[in-house]
Amino acid sequence: MTLNLNPLVILLIFPGGLFLIVAGLAYEYVDRKLVARFQNRIGPRWFQPLADLLKLLSKEEITPRGVQRDLFYLLPLFALASTLTASLYVPMAGLTPAYAFQGDLIVTIYLLSVLTLSMGLAGASTVDRFALVGATRTLTQLFSYEAPFMLALLGPAIAAQTWQIRTINEYAGQNLWLMIAQPIGFLVALLGLMGKLELPPFDAPEAETEIVAGALTEYSGRGLALFRLSKDIELVIGLTLVAAFYLGGIHSPLDFLIKTLGLLLVVALLQTLFARLRIDQVVGLWWRIGTILVVIQLIAIVIGRYIGSSIF
Amino acid sequence: MSEKFVIPIGPQHPALKEPSHFEIFVDGEEVIKATLRLGYVHRGIEKGAEQRTWTQNLYLMERICGICSHVHAMAFVQGVEALAGVQAPPRARAIRQVVAELERLHSHLLWLGVAAHEAGFDALFMYSWRDRETVMDLLELLSGNRVNYSANLLGGVKFDVTPEQKVRILDGVSFLEERVRYYLSVVNSDETFLGRTRGVGILSREEAERLGAVGPTARASGVPRDVRVDVPYAAYSEFPIKMVLSQQGDLQARFVVRLEELFESIRVIREILNNLPESELTVRMPRRIPAGEVISRVEAPRGELFYFIVSNGSDRPERVKVRTPSLANWGTVLATAPGHKLADVPMLVAGIDPCFSCNDRMVVVKTAR
Repeated sequence: MTLNLNPLVILLIFPGGLFLIVAGLAYEYVDRKLVARFQNRIGPRWFQPLADLLKLLSKEEITPRGVQRDLFYLLPLFALASTLTASLYVPMAGLTPAYAFQGDLIVTIYLLSVLTLSMGLAGASTVDRFALVGATRTLTQLFSYEAPFMLALLGPAIAAQTWQIRTINEYAGQNLWLMIAQPIGFLVALLGLMGKLELPPFDAPEAETEIVAGALTEYSGRGLALFRLSKDIELVIGLTLVAAFYLGGIHSPLDFLIKTLGLLLVVALLQTLFARLRIDQVVGLWWRIGTILVVIQLIAIVIGRYIGSSIF
Repeated sequence: MSEKFVIPIGPQHPALKEPSHFEIFVDGEEVIKATLRLGYVHRGIEKGAEQRTWTQNLYLMERICGICSHVHAMAFVQGVEALAGVQAPPRARAIRQVVAELERLHSHLLWLGVAAHEAGFDALFMYSWRDRETVMDLLELLSGNRVNYSANLLGGVKFDVTPEQKVRILDGVSFLEERVRYYLSVVNSDETFLGRTRGVGILSREEAERLGAVGPTARASGVPRDVRVDVPYAAYSEFPIKMVLSQQGDLQARFVVRLEELFESIRVIREILNNLPESELTVRMPRRIPAGEVISRVEAPRGELFYFIVSNGSDRPERVKVRTPSLANWGTVLATAPGHKLADVPMLVAGIDPCFSCNDRMVVVKTAR
């Protein structure tokens, strides 16, 4: 499906602005509700994420002593802007991406990392001890999952022989679900997404029982609201990306809803199943197991393609 | 980061529901040294006890700790009864023991939830607290209260166990036995959870003895120390319990020891309720307690609870000194923390099942100049 929209509409309403904010809040609600039900709690009401956001936006924003003022205020905006931009290259709601060019996959992956990077810098720009430890952990975790996550997304790209998300999405729709052909890549991509969003069990960077709220400890009001909103939006984009690559592509709004919500169910289940990993365990898991498995799979794909092309 | 980088935990911190102040000296993520400051919730209870009559004090002592209210009252009552030369009737002593073991069930399940939360395992936290409601309901059924059961009187207990109550308690503990067995399998088999507990915070038997550890913390390090076995009180000589020991000394052992203790509690509750001795519930106590002093010890869920009571022959105590088990166990946290990761510290603290408000007392330290 393709929609011809005014560029301003694309940026502000769909798929860029308003749509993503609403979708992000809705997906946050679904995630929180599912986790709550899995843990035998009742969970929030449907408007709770919106209420949280509005409350934070209306609250006083405190500038702590000793922060780099410009960075402190710009980083949340920067994080939100990059996540929103990333949506332009992704088949949001099952429609053709608003923009596409050869190599937009790499750009999207980098845009999605900006949120984590911003949070790390935000923590490091304060003098709070919890925020500093949190920032160290955020960046440590970034370096551990980023490479395997990227390699996991490259698997489908190599199979489709393109660096364009739109083409990969079409390729995935015409072939057997890549989840079956590349199960390791699927798992690593999903876990990498959870690491990116600092969801349990990868929530060591914001482990409240150790370092309060991690890198964002000093944030209040608008800054915190924007960071949280960026995370919600990144959840939607990340789920869309994984679904488009590994679950046979997404080609209609219904397709989008079923596949991303299905993935969210798995993500919520994984969040409740495990105890929090220590940061050294996270690094060990990604580099000793995640990366090696993905590299092995990547080599297998390349060899498979080589053999395939030499036969025909 | 320099060696002087200090992470403060408390007095206000999300990990601590009660105030205390830890200073964790870290090098990166590794803990070099840990210090502790207590005393933020000193409530003057010991001094207050001197201005109240023996009966009034019963209610004051019960409020030292919200979680183990019964053992505080029991330690006090047993001490006063010893001073007066009175022994509570057998049925009263058996009911005291039933309530004490029900309280252990509720306290250990509460601890399991808190400790799981410190490890970021919220599913276990929520489930164990849901099941804990069962034992809270049983205590409410018996006494009318969920927290301060007020079971003890000087010279006996306040309520009897009716046959209908007996049936419901037996049903309740059977359900809990099933659940505790399941939680035991979770803490012994969940890989991510074992990653946070196995081999973490190892406390050798010698260290535990040197630091004077008590309760499950000591027993998890193989120190056979349990007041219920060493100096049986209440009905523990008629209905004895077996001491649960582990030689491992790490956090996992502390989980296993506490959970396995619950099977013993459940077994002994069943045994008592099926063989409840017939007698009066109270005996007469004098209003003035003869002059003298006494040491009264009971095994609280967290370990040995120590009461020292002095009477001057009037209707009020001259002095009541309380030492709660948490105070005896702090040393083990500070001694085991160095060398661990910062992420392990909340687990180590939770591992001794600390109770902050109860252990804060006035202490005068005279330093030699």
